Order: sequence, then structure tokens, then C-alpha cells
Amino acid sequence: MQMDELIGTHRQELRRGTVVLACLLALRTPGYGYGLLKTLDAAGISSDGNTVYPLLRRLEERGLLESEWNTDESHPRKFYRTTRAGSELAAQLLADMADLTASLRTLNGGTDR
Amino acid sequence: MTSWTERYLAAALRSIPDPKRADLERELRSSIADAVEERVAAGEDRLVAERAVLEGLGDPAQLAAAYTGRPTYLIGPELFPLYRQFVPRLIAVVVPLAAVVMAAVKVASGGSYSDAIAAGISGAISVTIQVAFWATVTFVFLEWADSARKARTEIVSATGRWTLERLPDLSAARVTAKESVGEIITVLITIGGLVFLGSLGTTDTSGSEVPLFAPAFTDVWFPALLAVLAAMAVLHVMVFIVGRWTMALAVGHAALRVAFALPLIVLALNGTLVNPAFAAQIGWPSLAEADGPAMLAVAVGTTLVGGWEILKPFLRARRARGSGPLVGASRRSA
Repeated sequence: MQMDELIGTHRQELRRGTVVLACLLALRTPGYGYGLLKTLDAAGISSDGNTVYPLLRRLEERGLLESEWNTDESHPRKFYRTTRAGSELAAQLLADMADLTASLRTLNGGTDR
Repeated sequence: MTSWTERYLAAALRSIPDPKRADLERELRSSIADAVEERVAAGEDRLVAERAVLEGLGDPAQLAAAYTGRPTYLIGPELFPLYRQFVPRLIAVVVPLAAVVMAAVKVASGGSYSDAIAAGISGAISVTIQVAFWATVTFVFLEWADSARKARTEIVSATGRWTLERLPDLSAARVTAKESVGEIITVLITIGGLVFLGSLGTTDTSGSEVPLFAPAFTDVWFPALLAVLAAMAVLHVMVFIVGRWTMALAVGHAALRVAFALPLIVLALNGTLVNPAFAAQIGWPSLAEADGPAMLAVAVGTTLVGGWEILKPFLRARRARGSGPLVGASRRSA
């Protein structure tokens, strides 16, 4: 495996788990599929439709998101919103993320870089 | 021609269960439209934009699998270890049995021995394919069918828990002095038995010697078989020196076993092992006959015993692989 490819694989793996957290946080303000992709992209978390769209459905099935069709605009869009359970999970994951970052910083001799 | 989007939607939604399909279609259509519109607004040609968006979404079958949560593999990591253990073992048990039965049926229905051997071999091949296929289908069913979910959980929990006791016993791979001496004694007894049988004979009415073995066997094959047996004894000494079976030693052992068994089987089935005159003299003419029960028993017995004896060192060589010189060293201290 090429070094670039290897680095890419590991970075992708590290980011994978954060997409759920990013969606739950972003959708505290209701949003639709493609709009969410743009929001995540603007926040520096790039992800693909084929990852995010099925993820939204799964999170809804688990009661972490709720959805509603909006037919006011040019074409109907399905809007998702983070539920109370989703918010609680997001808070938990965010705290874990902070702990992990702190732990990694300690392992790295107290610095970020 | 229908648009790329319509074709994409049809391909992606095909495997989505009915109750979810309509809603999913509406949402996917809207997501695709949003992405296309943005590109068009930025000045891109509509067809080019549509193409880029759909290709960005990727293989519709993958997308559908992500929606349904269905596996994109035939046998998953949960069942695969069991599959790898189970199927080879099933084949090892069923195939030899089936081969023997098919060969026996051929003989019973009046076929020649070469026909029976051919029936056994072709039977073994087709049964191997059948067993592998149906066992695989069963595992794929367990993996995929929603109705098998409970059975899968039970099977995995019943067989899946790994404990230390499952580690292979390395001492079983070690070849002990006792074992090697036993093997060499067996070879010597076989040599003695052959020589003894070679000396057996009777006298006919005129008083001349009638040996048990056919003259052609005594002249050509008898010394050859003794040489093979001597080589076998040397091989067992080598195995003892190495301390375990290696693949190379197992191959050498297999070659010697075949060199010993094959002439016996062929001669027995040809009726050129036992001297016909001897059989006639002791009043049991069928003893020497090519299709008599005695020679068939010799051939089948030699095949079965030889086959198992050939297999054993390979199994032990595999088990010992990777245990390295440590095994030989611990033998000395043990």
C-alpha cells in the first residue's frame, strides 16, 4: 500500500465515528439531506451523500432524529431535527471526544502538535 | 430513453422493502435535485451536473445496502471461522465414505475393479463439490435470512466462545523416541512377515515345491518392496532426528507408502500376487483369483490403511508448523 493511501485510510477511519456526532449537533437546527452535507462541509467535516443519507434514516429509526416533510419550497424536502435523546447522546459523545483529545495530548507530551 | 436519475432511482430502490420505498424515493429524488440545481446555478450544464451527482452517490446497490443494513458479503466475520472449520471437516468425513460406497455399489452390480476405482474417484469429486456447495448455501442462508437471525445468534453463542482449551496441543505434534522406535519395529515386523510369507509353500504330489507367492512377484516385486520398507525405516529415523513431522518428510512418507501399497493393490486385483498352483494345491482356488474375495480384501484393506497412514503425518506436520526448534529442544529436557 502506498504511504498516501495508508494515511488516507487511517484518517478516514478516525473521522468515521465523528459523522454521527456532527449530524446530531448540526440538526439541532432542522435541516434536509443535501443542506446538511453543505453545513458539514462548511464546518470542515466533509462527508458523502451515500454515507450521510442512509445514516439519517438509521438515526431516525433509533429515535435520535425526527423528520417532517416540508412542501413550502420549490420541491418537497424531508427535514430532520435532533430529538431530546439525540441531544443527550451528542452531549455524551462530545464529552468523550474532549476526554479523548485530552488523553491524546497527554500521551503526546502535553502538546497538540 | 429515461433519464439517468430515473434509472438510478430504479436501481437503488429495487431492493428496498415496500413500506419504506415511496418515502425513500421522494427523499432521494429531492436530494439529487438539490445537488443538481446547485451545480446548474453555478453555470454547469444540466446533463453534466446530473451525471456528476449520480456518480458521486456511487453504486446504487451499495447505497441500497446502506439503507437496508443488509450485508454486502455472503458470509460475515461472525460465521466465517465456523465455516472454515466446519466445511473441510464435513468433506473429510463424507467424501471418503461416499467414495467407498460408490465403488462398492459398482462392484456389487458386476462392474470391474478398474470401473469401481473410477466410480470411487468421480464420486469423490462430485460429492466434494456438492457438499461444499450446499454447506456454503446453508451458511449464506444463516447470514442473510431474517428468519434465521435467531438460529444464527444461537449457533454463534454456542460455538463462538473461544477458550484457552481450544489451543492445539503442541506436545501432540512432537515425535517421541518411543513412537519412532514403534514405527521402526512395525517396519521390521512387516519385512519379517514378507520374508516369512515368501518362504511359505507346499509340495505337490510329485514332491516339488509350490511357493505361496506367484513367481513373477518373488522375482521382481519382492526385493523392490523390501527396499521400500528399508527406506521407510530410514525415514522414521530422520523424523526422530528432526523431532517432528515436516511437510517434506510427510511427502517422502506418502511416496514410500504409495510405492509399497500400489504394487500390492495392482497385483492383487490382477490375480498375480498369489501363485495359482499354490491355491489349487491347498484346495482354495479362489484365493489367487483376480476377482476373488481374498484378493479384493487385500486391495481394499491396503487402500484404506495406506490412505489413513499417508494422511496422518500431514495432519501432524500442519499442527507442528510454526512451533519451530523449540519443540525439538523441549523433547530433550522432557
